[in-house]
Amino acid sequence: MSTNAHPLDALGDPTRRQLFELLRRGPQSVGELAAQLPVSRPAVSQHLRVLESAGLVTHERVRTRHLYELNGNGVVELRAWVDGFWDEALARFKAAAETKGEAS
Amino acid sequence: MSDALVIEAVRKTITVDCVVEEAFRVFTTDMISWWPIGSHSIHGNEVKEILFEEREGGEVYEVTAEGKKGYWGSVLSWEPPTRVVLAWNILEREAVPTEVEVRFTAEREKTRVDLEHRGWEAVEEDGSAKRDNYDTGWGHVLGLYEARLG
Repeated sequence: MSTNAHPLDALGDPTRRQLFELLRRGPQSVGELAAQLPVSRPAVSQHLRVLESAGLVTHERVRTRHLYELNGNGVVELRAWVDGFWDEALARFKAAAETKGEAS
Repeated sequence: MSDALVIEAVRKTITVDCVVEEAFRVFTTDMISWWPIGSHSIHGNEVKEILFEEREGGEVYEVTAEGKKGYWGSVLSWEPPTRVVLAWNILEREAVPTEVEVRFTAEREKTRVDLEHRGWEAVEEDGSAKRDNYDTGWGHVLGLYEARLG
């Protein structure tokens, strides 16, 4: 039994969001992904594992290539992530607005 | 065009204990005071400022201490202090942005804030279009490869 990362946490990292976006263009290998990002191949592999354990990404072997791709189209997961994000962000907004409101 | 696909908008409502002008100001031009930049920005904790150009067509972007910029979106409607609509890039390189509409309504001394984040269908169509292009591209390359072998 593996512990699964939550999609919301998995996408709460800028590099993983970039990987998610790159994979929306179609299946790609670790090397291809790493070439488009300012991070190393091992780092890309590690981020892909987090995305995979959150159910956002899968991988398969095509001939000699090991390709990663989105599990589904990812938009439903993206929407769920944003839904959770706004709860957190609006709570922070409320705290900031009420603090500033008192100060003025 | 694929089947009429509907992905429900994200909708949130909160009430903030301050006047509507202040709520609008903090949400927009004072975004840096509450936005979780560490986890939800392009440059993470290096971000020092969030610039919010207060006009229709204005841009919203982050700026780091070294002056690096990261584009977030643009202003579709600017109606202080009651409504703002943004074209919002959730993912940094996204071609088709989503839309975020925020309405501010005075309720006595407080402000009700209604947020709607919509346009998921366009993001999906954009993603599938890219995927189709990619597949076609590979089909072509593999076709050449096979023709050469054959």
